[in-house]
Amino acid sequence: MKLLAATNRYYLLLSAGLFVLGSGVLYVGIERAVRDEMSEQLHNNQLELEERVAAGRPLPEPVYRQQYSVSGQPRPLGFSDTLLLDPTEGSMVPHRQLTFRALGPGQPPVWVTLRKSMVETDELLAATVGSMLVVLALLLAGIVGLHRYLSGRLWAPFQHTLATLRGYDLQQHQPLALPGSKIEEFAELNQALTQFSRRLVADYESLREFTANAAHETQTPLAIMQAQLEQLLQLPALATDAAAAPLLADLYGATRRLSRLHQALGLLSRIENGQFHAAVPLDLAALVREKAAQLAPLLDARDLTPHLHLAAAPPRQLHPGLADSLLHNLLHNAIRHNVPGGDVTVHLTAHALEVSNPGPVVSGDPARFFERFRKHNAASESPGLGLSIVQQICAYYGFGLSYTFAPAGARHTLRVAFGPGPGGAAVGRA
Amino acid sequence: MKLLLVEDEPALRSTLVEALRQGGYVVEVAADFTQAYEKIKLYRYDCVLLDLTLPDGNGLDLLRALKADNSPAGVLVISARNGLDDRVAGLDLGADDYLVKPFHISELNARLRAIIRRRRFQGSNHLIFRDLTVWPDQAEVQVRGEALTLTRKEYDLLLYLLANPGRVLTKEAIAEHLCGDSVDAADSFDFIYTHLKNLRKKLQEKGAENYIRTMYGVGYKLSSE
Repeated sequence: MKLLAATNRYYLLLSAGLFVLGSGVLYVGIERAVRDEMSEQLHNNQLELEERVAAGRPLPEPVYRQQYSVSGQPRPLGFSDTLLLDPTEGSMVPHRQLTFRALGPGQPPVWVTLRKSMVETDELLAATVGSMLVVLALLLAGIVGLHRYLSGRLWAPFQHTLATLRGYDLQQHQPLALPGSKIEEFAELNQALTQFSRRLVADYESLREFTANAAHETQTPLAIMQAQLEQLLQLPALATDAAAAPLLADLYGATRRLSRLHQALGLLSRIENGQFHAAVPLDLAALVREKAAQLAPLLDARDLTPHLHLAAAPPRQLHPGLADSLLHNLLHNAIRHNVPGGDVTVHLTAHALEVSNPGPVVSGDPARFFERFRKHNAASESPGLGLSIVQQICAYYGFGLSYTFAPAGARHTLRVAFGPGPGGAAVGRA
Repeated sequence: MKLLLVEDEPALRSTLVEALRQGGYVVEVAADFTQAYEKIKLYRYDCVLLDLTLPDGNGLDLLRALKADNSPAGVLVISARNGLDDRVAGLDLGADDYLVKPFHISELNARLRAIIRRRRFQGSNHLIFRDLTVWPDQAEVQVRGEALTLTRKEYDLLLYLLANPGRVLTKEAIAEHLCGDSVDAADSFDFIYTHLKNLRKKLQEKGAENYIRTMYGVGYKLSSE
């Protein structure tokens, strides 16, 4: 429910209550005013008639019997209310009546009754409720109109803030730029959000810098470790102890893994930093062939057949290092998650690059395959950064990246659509 | 063969010097830009191993100075900077090759060999190891004068071993050399075994036995006896 709809509901309840109360007050007020007015008029008529009788003139003949009657018989004196049948309308009409005793000089007293018709109850009620309904309708129409205007105008800054928040991307490294507002609440909201995003950006920046620095600074000690371990492996003394050399070799392998991990993290943070501006026209088909040839020993070792379907396409403006990394990681992924005797199929067209391979069904949400340190097999020695790098490179160039699994033949396909593809956004920003 | 190693990290410097001397090189060292600049101005080297990030200057300026002097020395850039832009800049300025830290010393040896071979056109453009003779320019191998037919990868492997005689080569180093730095630790290194087995068999058929030794759990070694 919109905030304004909720507010309107309360306005409506309040208005209905006020309407009932107001109608009652109005009804009672009008009735009392009419009655007072009638009493005053009757009293004036009484004075006029008493003067006339005191002057010795006779009482006028009654014309309208209902409104003026004279009787020799005593009647109860003073004001009273009565209902009389209106013969023409055929309905009972409330009347105000005043009875007094007129005593002319040398005449027997007479009892005079004056009557005035008051407004009929239902008519009064109709008039009251009717006018109140008109007021209520005007009020409601006014409120709705006002709110429509307010939501369009007063709430515009809020809508703007909301749209900015929805479109906010932390990787742009920019805090939110929200304008000030004349409305205090919105100004405070925008200020709080801007501050919040600034803190977010600062945290993100420091994390990113930390990663980049850590990745860079560890390379030197790693280089020392690796070189010295390699020298240790050359020592003739190792031959005397059969257990020592494999230990050192494992240590060497671990050092190498660590350094690769840092290189991958460094690459990721450099892509995020946008440090790959230089782009040259690249023939992707040639690059795919080159990469496949480079990986041939790995393909052979697993008995995998490469199928390259490379359509001639115009060269693409890419950073050579990123293009290399993109192809390498896609192919490597297809090799690693393959089955013995399987194949690695690459389709390259002017619009997309598709790498597919047969492989066991992978459980889990495909969008999460692109997360960092995501491994299919937890015991795997791969750090699980390959597809993250692919994703980052695609995001960097605005390529769509999508993953599909075809149960028939159990084929996994990764598709890079040059230019944002239809399936791209789903995974690209996951 | 005289080399200049420009490297500011003392531990890495001493390890590399030791390894290079074992490989039969005469090695001089420079710990910073100033020392390195003096040495390249005063002496002649066959090859300069150049670290780009030095405490008092940029290694690329040393490269420029070498090229300005028309120095015949080969230059192998060694840097922790993995940025491809550095690599391109280095190669554009006339460096012969580029190696990213951390690297395998055996890979360094192989690159160094290749640079020196390319730079020395005169005379001995062939390698001799025991009964093996290799003409790298023609990619030809002979065992006691008999031609040996090898696949591309087997030939690469042999050349790599020949660049590191007597050194233990780790599986990682061999795999990365053969696959151009594109394998990682998660891959099985079985394929090296296949290539080595085939190479050994071909050598044996020509009567070259026990050239390649398996170091259990570590890697392989080209044995000189």
